[in-house]
Formats: sequence, structure tokens, C-alpha cells
Amino acid sequence: MPSRVPSRVPADGEVVVRLTDVRKDFGDCTALDGVSLEIRAGEAVAVMGPSGSGKSTLLNLVSGLDRPSAGSVVVGGEDLGALGEKGLALFRRHRVGMVFQFFHLLDDLPALDNVALVGQLDGLGARAARQRATELLEGLGIADRGDVHPASLSGGERQRVAVARALMNRPALLLADEPTGALDTRSGEAVVELLTDLHALGQTLVLVTHDARLAERCASRVVEVVDGRIAGARAVRRDR
Amino acid sequence: MRAVWTASRAAVARRRLQTFVLAAVVLVCSATAVVTLGLMAAVSGPFDRVYNAANGAHVMAEFDSSKATAARIARTARASGVEASAGPYPVAVLRRPTDQGGPFGLPGVFTVVGRDRPDTAVDTMKVFSGRWATHPGEIVLDMPQGFGGARLIDQETHVLAPGGVDLKVVGYATSVSDSAGGWVTPAQARDLGAASTQMMYRFRDAGSQAALTADMAVVTAGLPSGSLTGTGSYLTLKEHLATGPNTYVPFLTGFGLLGLIAAVLIVGSVVSGAVVAGYRHIGVLKALGFTPDQVTAVYLVMVTVPAVIGCAVGAAVGSVLGTHLVRGAFWGISGNALVAGKASVPAWVYPVVLIGMPVLVVLSALLPAVKARRLPAARAISAGGVQQTGRAPAVQRRLGGSRLPRPVSLGLGWPFARPGRTALTLSTIVLGVTTATLAIGLAASVLTFDRTQEQQDSVQVTVAVGNPAAPSHPAGPVHTDEQLLAGLRALPGAAHVSADAPLQTRMAGSADAVRMDVRTGDTTALHPDLVRGRWVSGPGEVVADSTFWHQQGLSLGRRVVLRDAAGRQVVETVVGEQTDGWDLTSTDWNRFVGLNSTRRATEFSVGLAKGADAHAYAAAARRLDPGLRPSLNTGVGPIEQAVISVISTLALLLVGVSALGVFNAVVLSTRERRKDIGVLKAVGMTPRQVVAMVVTATAALGVAGGAVGVPAGMLAHRIVLPLIGHGTGRDLPASMLHVWDAPLLVLPALSGVALAVLGALLPSVRASRASAAEVLRTE
Ligand SMILES: Nc1ncnc2c1ncn2[C@@H]1O[C@H](COP(=O)(O)OP(=O)(O)OP(=O)(O)O)[C@@H](O)[C@H]1O
Ligand SMILES: [Mg+2]
Repeated sequence: MPSRVPSRVPADGEVVVRLTDVRKDFGDCTALDGVSLEIRAGEAVAVMGPSGSGKSTLLNLVSGLDRPSAGSVVVGGEDLGALGEKGLALFRRHRVGMVFQFFHLLDDLPALDNVALVGQLDGLGARAARQRATELLEGLGIADRGDVHPASLSGGERQRVAVARALMNRPALLLADEPTGALDTRSGEAVVELLTDLHALGQTLVLVTHDARLAERCASRVVEVVDGRIAGARAVRRDR
Repeated sequence: MRAVWTASRAAVARRRLQTFVLAAVVLVCSATAVVTLGLMAAVSGPFDRVYNAANGAHVMAEFDSSKATAARIARTARASGVEASAGPYPVAVLRRPTDQGGPFGLPGVFTVVGRDRPDTAVDTMKVFSGRWATHPGEIVLDMPQGFGGARLIDQETHVLAPGGVDLKVVGYATSVSDSAGGWVTPAQARDLGAASTQMMYRFRDAGSQAALTADMAVVTAGLPSGSLTGTGSYLTLKEHLATGPNTYVPFLTGFGLLGLIAAVLIVGSVVSGAVVAGYRHIGVLKALGFTPDQVTAVYLVMVTVPAVIGCAVGAAVGSVLGTHLVRGAFWGISGNALVAGKASVPAWVYPVVLIGMPVLVVLSALLPAVKARRLPAARAISAGGVQQTGRAPAVQRRLGGSRLPRPVSLGLGWPFARPGRTALTLSTIVLGVTTATLAIGLAASVLTFDRTQEQQDSVQVTVAVGNPAAPSHPAGPVHTDEQLLAGLRALPGAAHVSADAPLQTRMAGSADAVRMDVRTGDTTALHPDLVRGRWVSGPGEVVADSTFWHQQGLSLGRRVVLRDAAGRQVVETVVGEQTDGWDLTSTDWNRFVGLNSTRRATEFSVGLAKGADAHAYAAAARRLDPGLRPSLNTGVGPIEQAVISVISTLALLLVGVSALGVFNAVVLSTRERRKDIGVLKAVGMTPRQVVAMVVTATAALGVAGGAVGVPAGMLAHRIVLPLIGHGTGRDLPASMLHVWDAPLLVLPALSGVALAVLGALLPSVRASRASAAEVLRTE
């Protein structure tokens, strides 16, 4: 259970992500076409769809890892199209946290430093950064694994370290691309639970998944992407 | 085989940049190898080639005409062992054109040979300006070509021989055998009182001094005893040209050797680095079903093809650069344009480089490629990544906790993650820094040597005295030497003034003329640097130049017998060894200069009072007498410039190679760390932070490389210089060794970092621009 509620949470209901008529081309291939989407603070949106439909592309646009070919992407009031490379880097650092299917931890660094790193990049002192990283790992139940290098961690542990890293700078938006895709069922369950808890604490969440059950459990809304277009959206009823 | 070829091509295509760097490194190294080998060969190569092309005399013999007739001497040409000959020619000994020292060279003995034509079987000469002397009253002078060239003959010049004989200079020619100072018709030579006869021989067996002595024994067998009065061997001439009056050949050789070693090491490290970096690819190949032999073959093809291309282009570049440098160096060394003009990189250098470099590349690739052969596929695939080894985790943890900006501390951690790669990169940087340090040290030593010889620290202004007999007929002085000395001393700013009169004399027991500098005035205040002993305290004492000291086996307190200006013998005591280049230096002006009414000072040296304006002094000196040509004693001599340009070209080449090596290493590591960099960018590392991280990773090595390379270069300088001194048979002044001061050390110390940053900048910017989304999608 996370020990702290992410602090830079926008007021509930405020629009955090607004995609307007977004297109994304890779050479001849159009990955996204005419996508418009709004995500409000406190929502947990699951993006679903067949393989190659453009889910990851969508997520990369929201996270500022990529730029749209046309249309606008506004996240947290910032028009990502207007930002330079440095601006995008700072945007990613401050506004979003990312969790990937294959963890993408730095093999050189022990788990704790993988988490602390993001704070340090922003000028946070080593001691303070490690302190916060320790708290995060504690909250995720892997405080005792802080000294261990990623190569020696289990898949589930690695993904929890990745989530801790994503939360390090208290992002307004947590983005996860197939966070359970590389995990066995049991470890996947644990990560799902973790994300559910985070959402329950108010964390805005965008989750890409193939897994309908996962979407049901974590998300308040499911967005369906097919062939680069939004094919439909539905709210998920849930007992809270 | 097709599969190997296809796989190699694919591998090259995947590593375009790396392949390009490999080719570039081999290119520059091949060029360096051609240049350095060419330079090293130039020390002896051109002499033999040029000497043989001009049929230079193996032995030049002089016979006493009163003991052996010309006809009898001519018969010696038929002695067994003689391959070709020229002569007999009558030899007259004159004073120099005027005794005042010029037009060329020093006053003293001047040999005039009566010779009917220049294109003889031995000592074949080319008249490069004007024509041959065909009538009485004409003379051709010996002159290195390019020393004024064709324009010389435009000025009417005369040589006044004793007895009022006026000889008009009609041509200039170069004799490779150094057979005479000038040539006239045989009849003219006899008129000039020729007392001896010159004969020149080329022998079938001329490999050593002993062989030449044996040859001459056969030649002179039937002659009356005592008729052979002197011989000159081409071996002495060669030695004189090769090590010469200056010290610089070994500088170049030593440096060339270092360059060669550096080139070999860097090529080795770049090639093996490329193969090691391909381990992951090797694993994939094996998984695809390539046999170990095929894997090895793929790797060899991958590096050999670009290497061969780079080598061929490099040899061509080296040929152009090398010929240029060899000529420059040889001109600087020999001062002989005939030799310098024909100097080039010897042909054998090309096959050596063209075969040697690819062989080197294959050998450096073979070791890791054979290792790759044995690597199990799974291990090889994982070996591509960054491993945790040894103390690395502890280091990373400590760095993570440091106060440094995180990109910097991340970069500092890189070298620890791959110790093998780090060692290779480090050695490349160390080589570059060592080379740069040694080059700077040698250049500083050359400059110091020049300064010491020219006494630039004590003499600020030199005042040349015009010699009306010189080709350009400058105005001569209206005052006497004493008046000039007094006048120059009286000018404002002058602290010390001395006068020089260089001349040639004979020393008993030595066949060669002795070049002597005679000084007067404030000689004690302005004396040259001494290696040992002391400066002369008065008449009867001389100091000797270091080279002359060792040639003659002198020692402190030795007596030498010289000829004074009137031709009488004088006994002088050697009291010191110095390095200003004159064989002997004396202050006995009266005896060596004053006794001969036609000799006079050719130059004055002026030491100024502290703070005096040298320009103002020079202007005042010019007004003192129209025959004075003052100049500031600053600047670098042409020989020194040639040597320094060669050293710096080589150093630049080698530093360039090192930078390429570093560049290659950084390209490899950023490639390996593509994913890490992508992740870091994804979590918010800015492009500038990425550059900082990559540059830091290399700059750390640059600092370490500087810390090792600078002392290594200083050590090399310390070892090389005395060796050079030893090799040239002279003692070097201590000032040549102690050239290091803080500003001079800053340069090479920074060069390590500069090298690293230079090599890292481009790949780091490339890494910072790469799309993180793209990287994370594919890795
Ligand atoms: N960098 C790229 N270059 C070229 N094509 C790309 C790139 N990224 C995505 N694509 C293409 O865009 C389309 C959408 O890809 P995307 O990765 O967004 O799909 P996805 O829905 O995430 O699929 P999956 O479920 O398999 O992860 C695909 O056809 C893919 O090939
Ligand atoms: Mg995807």
C-alpha cells in the first residue's frame, strides 16, 4: 500500500489530458488517425484494442515521448506541441510517471537508486532522494530489496520498482503500458492491486492493456482503439 | 561462403558509423606509418640514392704533383677494383674570394680545381645556373642548388685570386662529392699555382672504410712513396650529412618510432573493440546455425574490408604528406637542395604498410574472433549487455550518493561497468597525451637549443656588417672594427657588445678545416652556455663545441695546435665545452683577426640593459654606420622550423588517431547504452543532461589519461633526449631537458580531456537526439 497520496493531484473532474484530432504517421503507416480524447483528474482509463492498433502510440503522445503528426495534445494545461526537447523532458520528469511492459530499469544501479535517480535528475539531494525512494519502496512492500540490482529481482519486484520510480516525482498522471504483460499471473495480480490502490487514493491513471479482466478491475473507463481510431468508450461500473 | 558474405555485409550495414571509424583510424594510421617510415628512411636513403645517381666519388684523392706526374696518376684508373674514375685535375688552393668572408661561407682556404667538363664518369655535376668555365679567367662556384637559384648568375661576381688574377663567375654547380669550392679550366688552375692533383674513384667494393682503405692501397701501389697527400671518403661525407652539424635527425627518428607504435596499438584496440562489441551479434549468428568457422569469417571480413580500403587511401595520403615532410626535413637536415629535392618516401615503405596494416588488423581481430568462436550462443547474446563485475556495484552506490549532479555521477559510473573497454579507451587517450606531451617537450627542447645557440637570452640585437663582396654588394662599413665596437657600446641602452669574426683554420692532426669563431669586446658577459669547464679567460685558451669535442676526443686542459692569421702555429688550451655550433671559440682577436689586415668583424652581438628598447637600439645602430644591418635576435631558425613542423604534423596525426579511437569507443558505449539512455530520457533527462553524462563518462577517462600520459610523455622526453645526445655524439645543455614549466604542462594535461571531449561530443549529441520512444520500442 503506498504510504503517501501523490501530492500534485489536480482537483477531481478537471481535464488533465485533452487530445484533439490527433494523427500520428510513421512513414507510410498511419498509427493514429483523428483521435480526440479527454481524461479527467481522478479517472483511471484503460486503453484496449488489438495488437498494432495504436495503443502504445497513443500513450507515447500523452507522455510526451513522441509528437503528433497533426492535431494537439494538451496535458495538465500544457500544449506538448509547443514544447522543445528540453521542455518535453522536463514535462515527463514533472508531470507523468511511466511504467513499461519490460520494466526498463537501469541494470547498473541498485533498485533504490533506480527510484531515487528521477528525483536526483531534478536536483534533489542524494540523501533526500534516497529517503523518498525508500518510503516508496516500503509502501510497495519491497523496502528490503533496495540494495539489489534489477538482474537479481523477480519480474514482479522489478515492476514494483518501476512503479515506485514512476511515482517518485509525484506525477499528476501515471501511464502504464501493459504493466502485467511480462509477468506471471500471481505477480501480475500484485501489480494490478497496486494500481487499483493508487487509483483509489486519487491517482489519475492511463493503462494500456490487452487484458479485459485487468481493465475491468482497475479502470473507471475503457477506451477502445481499433486501427488507429477510437472505436468506442464505456464506463466501468464498480462497487467502491 | 555466400552466407558469410551476406552476414558480413549486413553487419557492416548495421554498424555504418563504426565501420567508417575503423576505416578512418586505419587510414590515418597508415598515413602516419608511411610518413614516419619515410622520415626514418630519409636519414640514410636519399643520400645513397642521390649520391649514386650523381656518381659521387667513393674516394677523392690528392697527389703531390712534384712526386707523381699526371700521366702516372691517370694510370691508377686502371688498377683492379676501380669501377670508374675522374681526373687527374690540377688543384690550386686560394684564399676565399676576398678574405673578408664571402661571397659564401667563411674566409680561409678555398680549393679551385682545373676541370674541363662537369659531366665526368665520377662526380657528375649539373651546372644549375650559368655555364661551365671554358676559358681562362672564368670560374664556376660550388653552391647548393636552390640557394639563390638561377638568379645568382644575373649579378656579375668576381673572384680575386692572389697575384691579381680576376676570375669571373660564369656558373654555379653542385658537387655531391664536395670535390671543390670552384672550378676553372685546367690551364687556369696551373696558372694559379696548382701544386697537387685530384683524382676521384668509384670502387666495386665500397661498403666500408676498411674496404676503401684496401682499394686505395691497390691504387697507390706503384706510386712513389709520399705522393698521396690526402683522401676523402664518401662515408665521412654521408655521416656528416646524416647526423650533420645539427641534432635533429634522431628527434625525428625517435618520434617516428613512437608514432609507429601508437598507430599499431590504436588500430589494434579499435579493431578488437569492434569485434568485442559484436559479441551479441555473434550469438544471434550462432543461433541461426552459423558454424564457428563461419562466425570467425564473418568478423574477419567485417573488419578487413574497411581496413584494406582505409589502408590504401591512407598510404596515398601518406605518400603526399610524407614526400612533402621528408623533403622539408631533409632540407632542414642537409641544407642540400640536390639531396632534398630528390628525397621521397622510399618505395619499400608502401608494400610494408599496405601488407603490414591489414595483417595487423586481421591479427587484432583474430584474437577476439577466436574467442567469439568458442562462446556459447546464449552467453554471447547476454555478453552484449552491460555486466556487473567486481567492485562496480559499490562504486555505483557511492556515486549515486554523491553530491554531484546526477548526470555527472551516472557518467562517472560508466567506466566501471566495462573495465575492458575502459582500459582500451584509456590506453588510446594515454597514447595521445603521451605523444602530445613528447611533441611539445621536443619542440620546446628544439626551441631552447636554438635559443641557446643563438644566445637569445643574453643577446637582444645582432648587428651584421655589410660585405661589399657579397652577391648583392651591400654597403661596407666606413668605420674600423674598434670604432664600431666603441660606437655600438656608446649607443643608449647597450650593456654589453662583442664582435665576432668567424673563420676557418687548420688544427694539427685533423684533416678537416676547423670552423672557428673569434670574439672581442664584452665576451665574458656574452659568452655562450657551457656544458662543462669555463669560459676563456684570455689569449691561449679556447672553448670547443660539443660535437667537435667528441669528434676530436677533447678533454679539459688539452692542448691543440692551430694556425693564426699569419699562418704561424699557436698552442691553445681547451678550457670548456659549449653548444653554440662553432668548432672552437677564442677571444684572441689580435692573433687570429688583427694580424691579417683584410679580416674583420662580420657581426656584433649586443646585450641590452634591462628595459632598453631593442627596436630603438637597432634604429640607432643603423644610423651609426651605413654598413651595419642590425636585427633583433628573436625568432626561430629555418631548420628548427622544419623540425618543429615535422614533429607537430606527426603529433597532430597521432592525436587525431587517438581522437578517432576515443570517438570509436564512445560510439560503441553509447550504442550499448542505447536502452539506458532511452529510459533516462523517458523519465525526464534533458538532452543537455544526456550530453553531460556521455561527455563526463569520457572526460573522466581523459583526466585519468592526462594523469598518466603527461608523466609518461615527460619520462619519454627525459629518456629520448639524452639518447639523442648520445647518438649524435654531443652533450646537450641541461636547459634542453628542463623545458617544463607550468604553462607548458597545462597544454598536454588538458589535451587528455580535450581529446576525450572531442571524441565524445558527436556521439553524445547523437545519443541525446535519438528518439526515446523508438529505442524503447525496439530494445
Ligand atoms: N516507431 C515506429 N516506426 C514505425 N512504425 C511504428 C512505430 N511505432 C509504431 N508503429 C506502427 O504503428 C502501429 C501502431 O503501433 P503501436 O505500437 O501503437 O500498437 P499497439 O496497439 O501498442 O500494439 P501492441 O498491442 O502489439 O503493443 C503499428 O502498425 C506499428 O507497426
Ligand atoms: Mg503496445
